[in-house]
Amino acid sequence: MKSKLLKVLVLVLVLVLALSACAPETEEPEMDVEETEEIVEETEEAMETEEVMETEEVEMTEEVVEPIATLTIWADDTRTPILADLADDFLAEYNVEVVVQDLGVVQDIRAQAIIAIPAGEGPDIYIGVHDWLGALIDSGLVAPIDLGDKADEFVGSALDAFTFTDGLLYGVPYATENLGFFYNTDLVAEPPTTWDEVMEIGQTLQDEGTVTYALAIGGDAGYNAYPIWDAFGGYVFGQDENGLWNVDDIGLNKEGYVAGVQFVVDAIDAGLMPETTDYEAAHAMFETSEIPFLMAGPWALDRIRNSGVPYAVAPFFPDEGGPFSGVQGFFVNPYSENVALATAFLTEFVATQETMTQLQTAGNRPSALTSALAVMEDEDLKAMGEAGVNAVPMPNVTEMGSVWGAWNSALTIAFTGELPPQEAMDDAVSQINDLLKGALAGMVNLPGSYQDQAGCGAAWDPACEATAMVEGEDGLYTLTVDLAAGDYEFKVALDGDWTVNYGSDGAQDGPNYALSLESDSTVTFVYDPDTQLVTTTIE
Amino acid sequence: MSTLAPNLTRGTKKNKGKYLFLQILKVAILILADAAIGWFLSQLISNGFYPFSIAIFIIAVAVNIILLVKKLFPLRWAVTGLVLMGLFTIYPILFTVWVSFTNYGEGHLVTKQQAMDQILARKYLPEEGAAYEYTAFKSADGDFALWLINPDGDGFLAKPGEPLSQLQEGEAGVGTINADGIPESIEGYKKLSIFEALADQNLPEIQFGTADEAIQIRKEKPGEAAQLVPKYEYDPDMDVVVDLETGVVYQNLRGDFVSSSGQELKPGFSATIGLTNFKRFFTSPALRGPLLRIVTWNFSFAILSLLLNFALGLFIAVLYNEPGFPLKKLIQTLLIIPYTIPALLTILVWRGMLNPEVGVISETLKALFGWAPRWFSDQWWAKVAILLINLWLSYPYFMLVCSGSLQSISHDYYDAAEVDGASGWQRFWHITMPLLLVAVGPLLISSFVFNFNNFNLIYIFNGGNPPIAGSPTPAGHTDILISYVYNLAYAGQEGGMDYGFAAAITIVIFFIVGTITLLQFRFTGMWEEVSENV
Repeated sequence: MKSKLLKVLVLVLVLVLALSACAPETEEPEMDVEETEEIVEETEEAMETEEVMETEEVEMTEEVVEPIATLTIWADDTRTPILADLADDFLAEYNVEVVVQDLGVVQDIRAQAIIAIPAGEGPDIYIGVHDWLGALIDSGLVAPIDLGDKADEFVGSALDAFTFTDGLLYGVPYATENLGFFYNTDLVAEPPTTWDEVMEIGQTLQDEGTVTYALAIGGDAGYNAYPIWDAFGGYVFGQDENGLWNVDDIGLNKEGYVAGVQFVVDAIDAGLMPETTDYEAAHAMFETSEIPFLMAGPWALDRIRNSGVPYAVAPFFPDEGGPFSGVQGFFVNPYSENVALATAFLTEFVATQETMTQLQTAGNRPSALTSALAVMEDEDLKAMGEAGVNAVPMPNVTEMGSVWGAWNSALTIAFTGELPPQEAMDDAVSQINDLLKGALAGMVNLPGSYQDQAGCGAAWDPACEATAMVEGEDGLYTLTVDLAAGDYEFKVALDGDWTVNYGSDGAQDGPNYALSLESDSTVTFVYDPDTQLVTTTIE
Repeated sequence: MSTLAPNLTRGTKKNKGKYLFLQILKVAILILADAAIGWFLSQLISNGFYPFSIAIFIIAVAVNIILLVKKLFPLRWAVTGLVLMGLFTIYPILFTVWVSFTNYGEGHLVTKQQAMDQILARKYLPEEGAAYEYTAFKSADGDFALWLINPDGDGFLAKPGEPLSQLQEGEAGVGTINADGIPESIEGYKKLSIFEALADQNLPEIQFGTADEAIQIRKEKPGEAAQLVPKYEYDPDMDVVVDLETGVVYQNLRGDFVSSSGQELKPGFSATIGLTNFKRFFTSPALRGPLLRIVTWNFSFAILSLLLNFALGLFIAVLYNEPGFPLKKLIQTLLIIPYTIPALLTILVWRGMLNPEVGVISETLKALFGWAPRWFSDQWWAKVAILLINLWLSYPYFMLVCSGSLQSISHDYYDAAEVDGASGWQRFWHITMPLLLVAVGPLLISSFVFNFNNFNLIYIFNGGNPPIAGSPTPAGHTDILISYVYNLAYAGQEGGMDYGFAAAITIVIFFIVGTITLLQFRFTGMWEEVSENV
């Protein structure tokens, strides 16, 4: 019995030890240090009596000052160790504890934040990518930040990426990433300067029998072949003169974009490109010298280096278009109790050359801080940074989320020859429009101050079904309502939303129509979609 | 001890006492538990989690009744199970139904209270308002004071409730002023770094100076203090938010505060929107378009998978059932291996092997025949590939199940059949199959339902690709309902997670799958009759 009990006890002890060894280090980094010191001292003075050791312990606890506040950061596995090091410095300097939690890959952080922040369980600061911004703001998961004079120290395009259409900055960027043009230095001595040249060199090498294809697209074609689209003048959403996105101007079925798709389709037909766009396959082919060219991002640097293939990175060709750029940064949770402290941590401690240089070195991404970028040594990253100069920021508006699926599908359909490029892209644009407008696509409505009398719950509701206009055979839209005497205002809105709305001058965002009724009357509105004007008849 | 000893002799009294004591203990524990639940509920309600608090309340009341009402005594033993069922089965179902009537999703994630907390906390600096750099000081009593420096470089001392006083070195306890214009010390106060100051969560809420020129620290720019003014005000009677700077009125429209010109105040919040989600599904191009095609493939996929997997599994099982099969154990072990590897990995390995450029299968076929199927670009070959992978993944399961059932079929039947002169085929069709189906019939149905919703396989292998050309909404040839819905709901209107819409579609799918399952149970009924006839 006794020996059995002993065995169990030993087992339990071992388990407890194993568990404590497994405990995450990041949670209490400072405590760990203290504890080990304590142990060292204990063993040194093992000969001394218990009483002495007790008094020592009291002294120890007195020395450990409680941190005056705690900040929690959610980071990805690359950034966590760097931030954990910074946390130690920060604690030592300001006695504010920073807990860094590793959430795996960057994309996972968003999914967690969406659930945790509304539930009040979110971190104070989290890492993310700039194209989440629209959705995060819509959902209220990010707080604005004002960098003040420090803004001048950042790369302009990186700050723009974190600036939303309301003109406010919603994060502190730390790194930019975009595709670079990789070429095999054994096969190609000088990098090409045009896309036509890429295909010509590929053709020559293919005829020699040295390569299988000229180029392969490494992943979903929308993003991973963007330099080609941009070179032919293609775009996703138009931008106004201030750089704000205009989601009503979709460029995917316009001339320039379709020409780009045609270029790729021609290359596929000529056997110079595969019809599939697979990340693994494209990278494997480049690493085994089966293709001389590849568009790849900084995330693939390590695997390409490890493969031993002789390569160099060129910025994309001058005047021939650039890649999409993504910017990574820190967001502040607006429901945190420490919004001000978290913001100060970012603006005063993280946005410094020292911190940003560490993030750049370990993260394999060009920094968003000019002074950190200046001290970068990695040649490949420098080339990718140069490519980034011509880069087009990925739109940070919510609507982008409705684009990816339709866009990539249409490209696959064009590549496999199911439909000619123009038709495929037309389909994509109509799919995107359907998604953006939702169930109310095609609705013509007259939102106004009269609506609560017409069976709507509230006034000025562009989606109220009771005031939706009915299309007649003549193509005109009609609505008849009974109204009490009084003054009213209204406007025309399409698709149940304010995005497209016409005022009394028939122009977008024009002034309200005014309607004055001296007695209770039946009012008939008629809307002409050609002139975008409403005529009113009072009975 | 001495009080207990006499009780031993009077058993009934002791039991009564013990009973009473237990009863009191029970009620006491129950009261404590109820108090805890009450506190929890108040927290939930104040955070706006109404459906969850209703569920907790109902469960708590039910538990109380069961524990207090004597007649319900037998139910006590099931109470844990009932609570768990309520929390993890019934509540999620009801919650899904509730969510389907709301706009809960990206853009409408927080509660109305949370959204208003955020909106009403916003402040702005009026044009005539002053902004300062500041250094925080703290007295021994924990009172804060700010040393403000205006753009002209003048220094001011600001304390809560007192007017600002422009001070020079030596005045009112102000110590040496350094090159930055900040005093090294202020009598009775301790100088704080910006982080030490902001570590106090209350500091940004404190108003320094008198009420008419109150100065606060800017949360979005924590190095600055300014004469901030609240930007928005909420009018609970009208349920509108008013912009105090511009006078614009924002009214509550289904989860957004919207102005009459269509300007939205972010963030939106979750609100009930009636049948809109269902309406959107039934009027969306999703239904006009590829749905019929997807349902057809979904059924073909589930039925073909079932038949192929079952047939191969049964074939192998029957082979082994023959006595004297060589190396039975070894081969059986090898054949089970696909079942023991996580499906996720297997699918990824297949995906790699079938890759038309670098995949080993495609390369081999090309080397042998100069041609390989377009596993990813051609809809029919993609479907074949998916059926093949599913066969690889599932036949060991049926092999195991069938060999078990085959061994349970009594050999007497076969002996009798042999006496009657039945052939091998006759024995298989008239004895093996009917008896086998009795045992594996329900498993076939579960396998069918599993494959009907086999999201992993489709999503990991090719994400439903190749896409259907000319479809009004993005969809793929190998998309099954569940993967199609996933794309609809999570790449939809607002470009993000639309839980409300997803919940609505889930309910529609539930009715589809539910009907199928019901019909299938009819079929199992038929099989049971077969077993009675045998």
